[in-house]
Amino acid sequence: MDRRVVVTGMGAVSPLGTGHAHNWEQMKAGASGVGPITRFDASTFDVRIAAEVDPLPQVPEDALTDELGIHSRFALVAAREAWADAGLEGAGVPSDRVGVFMGSGKGILHIERLAPGMKAALVTRDFDYAAFLNRAVETLSAEPRKQERYHQTGTHVARAIGASGPNWVCITACAAGNHAVGEGYWTVRRGDADVLLAGGSHSQIDPMSLGGYSTLGALCERNDEPERASRPFDRKRTGFVLGEGSGVLVLEELEHALARGATIYGEVIGYGNSADSYRVTDPHPEGTGAELAMRSALRSAGLQPDDIDYINAHGTSTSQNDRGEAQAIGRIFGPKGESPPVSSIKSMMGHLIAAAGAIESIACIHALHDGVLPPTINYENPDPECDIDVVPNEAREVPIRYAMNNSFGFGGQNIVTVFRKYEG
Amino acid sequence: MTRRVVVTGIGVISPNGTGTEAFWSATKAGQSGIAPIEAFDTEGFEVRSAGEVTDFRAQDYVKNRKSLKIMGRNIRFGVAAARLAVESSGLDETPPDPTRYGVVMGSGIVPTDVVEVGAAVIESLDEDRNFDMRKFGQSGQKLLHPLWLLKHLPNMVAAHISIQQGAQGPNNTIVTACSASTQAIGEAARLIERGDADVMIAGGADSRIDPLSLVAYTLLGAVTTADRPPEELSRPFDRDRDGFVLGEGAACVILEDEEYAKKRGATIYAELSGYGSSFDAEGVTRPSMDGAHAARAMTLALKDAGIAPDEIDYVSAHGTSTRLNDLMETNAVKLALGDHARKVPLSSIKSMIGHLIGAAGAMEVATSVLALRDGVIPPTINLHTPDPECDLDYVPNEARELKLKTVLTSNFGFGGQNAALVLRKYDS
Repeated sequence: MDRRVVVTGMGAVSPLGTGHAHNWEQMKAGASGVGPITRFDASTFDVRIAAEVDPLPQVPEDALTDELGIHSRFALVAAREAWADAGLEGAGVPSDRVGVFMGSGKGILHIERLAPGMKAALVTRDFDYAAFLNRAVETLSAEPRKQERYHQTGTHVARAIGASGPNWVCITACAAGNHAVGEGYWTVRRGDADVLLAGGSHSQIDPMSLGGYSTLGALCERNDEPERASRPFDRKRTGFVLGEGSGVLVLEELEHALARGATIYGEVIGYGNSADSYRVTDPHPEGTGAELAMRSALRSAGLQPDDIDYINAHGTSTSQNDRGEAQAIGRIFGPKGESPPVSSIKSMMGHLIAAAGAIESIACIHALHDGVLPPTINYENPDPECDIDVVPNEAREVPIRYAMNNSFGFGGQNIVTVFRKYEG
Repeated sequence: MTRRVVVTGIGVISPNGTGTEAFWSATKAGQSGIAPIEAFDTEGFEVRSAGEVTDFRAQDYVKNRKSLKIMGRNIRFGVAAARLAVESSGLDETPPDPTRYGVVMGSGIVPTDVVEVGAAVIESLDEDRNFDMRKFGQSGQKLLHPLWLLKHLPNMVAAHISIQQGAQGPNNTIVTACSASTQAIGEAARLIERGDADVMIAGGADSRIDPLSLVAYTLLGAVTTADRPPEELSRPFDRDRDGFVLGEGAACVILEDEEYAKKRGATIYAELSGYGSSFDAEGVTRPSMDGAHAARAMTLALKDAGIAPDEIDYVSAHGTSTRLNDLMETNAVKLALGDHARKVPLSSIKSMIGHLIGAAGAMEVATSVLALRDGVIPPTINLHTPDPECDLDYVPNEARELKLKTVLTSNFGFGGQNAALVLRKYDS
């Protein structure tokens, strides 16, 4: 008596705009959301570009706005859209049968706010903790630190929609949003919830993170041509572009959705999870962990490699990720010509880190529903080391039945989900 | 055909003892690990005591010394607890298929090292001694350790454990505050149950005894600032309790598919037979005081285990020593267990080790397994003045010997997430 899990609602806020339908139109058109950083003065940083959500979306008035950090703001906007989109407002689903799983990530350390404390503490060479304390209390008490706690996205979303079922927040870096979708699928399938909001929300467009990733050599420094900076699988790619935003999907048990006459966008049928177990600084060069997760997702979906019609790649635009991912795809699906078309929407919206996998799941659902594959923009110079069929620059119309979504986290967590076109 | 999940290994790094048996002897004896903070000068701080891990050398647990450089304190505790758990499980002798071997950890905010960040901030001050973002971009940030970000990504505990132990299977990190590691252990059990893994390392690691966290918790008003000897500060369920005490450390258990464990001849300490999770959608910064949502997590765990409330022999409590939690929890246990709540012993090890936040649930799971193994219930120390509103049997001040078959343990997160687990003596 296996329960099937379908997608009945979606919500998105990204550098391409607010609203999942609007995002999809932008993706199909190959738009870019990358530009100069405006959130803070980044003029002296090595990297001065990012994909910002601009303007920041308005949060509904009934939310606890004074407590909201940027992650919760994005999450609330996407979750409320998804909830309404699914027709669940006022639908009377028992609260304890509705769960929330969110992918989240490192909060923002507002280093400038530490300055008064540091000035007091570092008068001599020894750190004066008491002096630091006096000033730090003053600065920090003026602004609650609650907003920087990771679990707050799950808390705010659940309270906003009144969901008292299973609730957790995972922080598996760039895989977190897809992780929430995969585990959410199992939770509904197992019967622990009938409806579950799964997604991710994140922003790392802040001085400490920008500096941190930049020092690691992970970010693209093409400051003069922002919209051309993110170029997954292109031979001239030089790093990723930081993005921000949130994606949320309403996962629902099929009979439950049918009984209330919900619109069904697509179906979740598989999920694989693995760890590189290699290094915390780099992904495995041959993508062995990625391969393991893709194979495990296929097995979980009961599919053969031939069945997959489209892969939404992790495709970050870093040299290492894209090569390892392409090689893993090649080992499973065969060389270009035999393997399914692949695209990376990070070419358009940058890397939303913990939210990336969620918004990419939304792209997969739309692709299945409409029979359109979103493009990989800026794909100009094929890389012989990435011998896969990259959907270049323009969306491709082709009816598809099965789509796979790859997300590989910094630190080595690999998450793959598989979706099916809903055909009854 | 549901697969059963058993516990085959335990590893603990605790303020009152490093190593599982050291922790357990101290805990049975009611020994407190709360003491004046040694990590930094607390002169002027309202909070000056905590449960610090003292007799700990990370080098004893990490083969590759170089990797210690990118391990924050919480990561070091987590990696060490995982190593101890693996050692106790015999997995070194019978290594599992790496692709069927995963890690799920509960974790929390990684504290910012103020001394490390301090130099970068000072470098970024302009002529008027104000913070200048341009100076930070130019020269300030270059004073940070190049791998600064890696040390501070909270998913790194599970990442390092997967590397150290060669676990290539499912890997997750959950951050739901005080219930994070309870959920981590529950989620790891689900992965085994549905066949995605045979062996999982699951637990939690946390360390927040640093100036910034102390300031933040003091502002929240949740940590006790009472004028008492350190070892008497944490007093769950006592009438005079007035806040929790911060602790640090880590605990991990090895979870295995029952058949897999039997086949390799593992010692089985207990069965993990139920997991329940709920959310308190009503409370905002405080729990719903009737305990209904917390009780629901317990009831779901009992249901999942297929047992009746009166089969519970011991409740390992969340018992934080805050006024609100301990009262709410008392109400919740009454709701979930009914009349049986009056008969069942319940204790909080936080009285001895403080609140380990992201590692708290895992410490209590380790305690539950050891209690089942030895038939000993650890005490709630410092319980001298009964609170008329907290009127259950909290096992005050002295351990109690009692044959145990089934234990319930639960945790309630500051953000509203509740989780409960049922552990049973293994019976093939």
